[in-house]
Amino acid sequence: MKLRFSATLFLVAFCVLYALVFALDAPLFRYYPLHGDFNWGNGVLKGVGPAMTWYGLMANAGLGAFVLALLIPDRWIERALRNFLWLFPVATMLVCVFLLRKFFA
Amino acid sequence: MAEFPDRHASTPPGKSAVSPWLVTTLLILHALVGVALLGGITHQAVSLLRARPDRNGSFLARYAGVSPPPFTIAVIALYVANVVLGALIYPSYRLNVRIPFEEMSLGWAIGLFELKEHFAGIGLGALPFYAYTWRPDSLAAHRRDRLGITLLLGVIVWWDFVVGHVLNNLRGLG
Repeated sequence: MKLRFSATLFLVAFCVLYALVFALDAPLFRYYPLHGDFNWGNGVLKGVGPAMTWYGLMANAGLGAFVLALLIPDRWIERALRNFLWLFPVATMLVCVFLLRKFFA
Repeated sequence: MAEFPDRHASTPPGKSAVSPWLVTTLLILHALVGVALLGGITHQAVSLLRARPDRNGSFLARYAGVSPPPFTIAVIALYVANVVLGALIYPSYRLNVRIPFEEMSLGWAIGLFELKEHFAGIGLGALPFYAYTWRPDSLAAHRRDRLGITLLLGVIVWWDFVVGHVLNNLRGLG
């Protein structure tokens, strides 16, 4: 099987995965900056200070999208969504605004 | 004040082990790279919007009269560099800025930073597609995608720049 990276599929997969991982609060790992601790998976460590999830979110969405962009052919998505692909990141940004609305209430 | 057990006696609770001058240096670099990125993406977006060449010699005509494709590599390099710099100083923000924001009940400021961080990440994920739409063999087929993704990156860069400055004015990292 010949592997070929598709930027189009990477964009779609990254945006969908990012929104999902953020909504489900399921980063690949959490980082605890107070003492530099990492915790793989979904568990939360107690007593080691505040956790940071953004690195884990990026890793989860980035790695997942990279694998999908290598494995899945992009012909269909290129043909069906051409010139509407830029809406995927816009939709993901709107999901983020919705999920963070509690800060502005 | 949030209390954490003193597992490493040399690091006081709520403080990063990274030296303040290094964090300040990285923060200044983050801002300077942000200025360059702002200039590059705005130049490219304006020239893309002003598709009809105007040769009357006005400032706007000259500003928009550049060839947009060569900006692509510069925008990608500056964007990646700025996200890396932001990611390096992010732990200091989490410990030395966000906790005081929580104590001051500045939820909107925390929300603005969260949006900045997520928008920057989404923009990073969109960079391969941005590069793809600016390739010579994609110029005709992805005209609307190229316009949309370039304007979107411009919005993200402007948002992140303005929010970063507002938050730094509220409470810097030093």
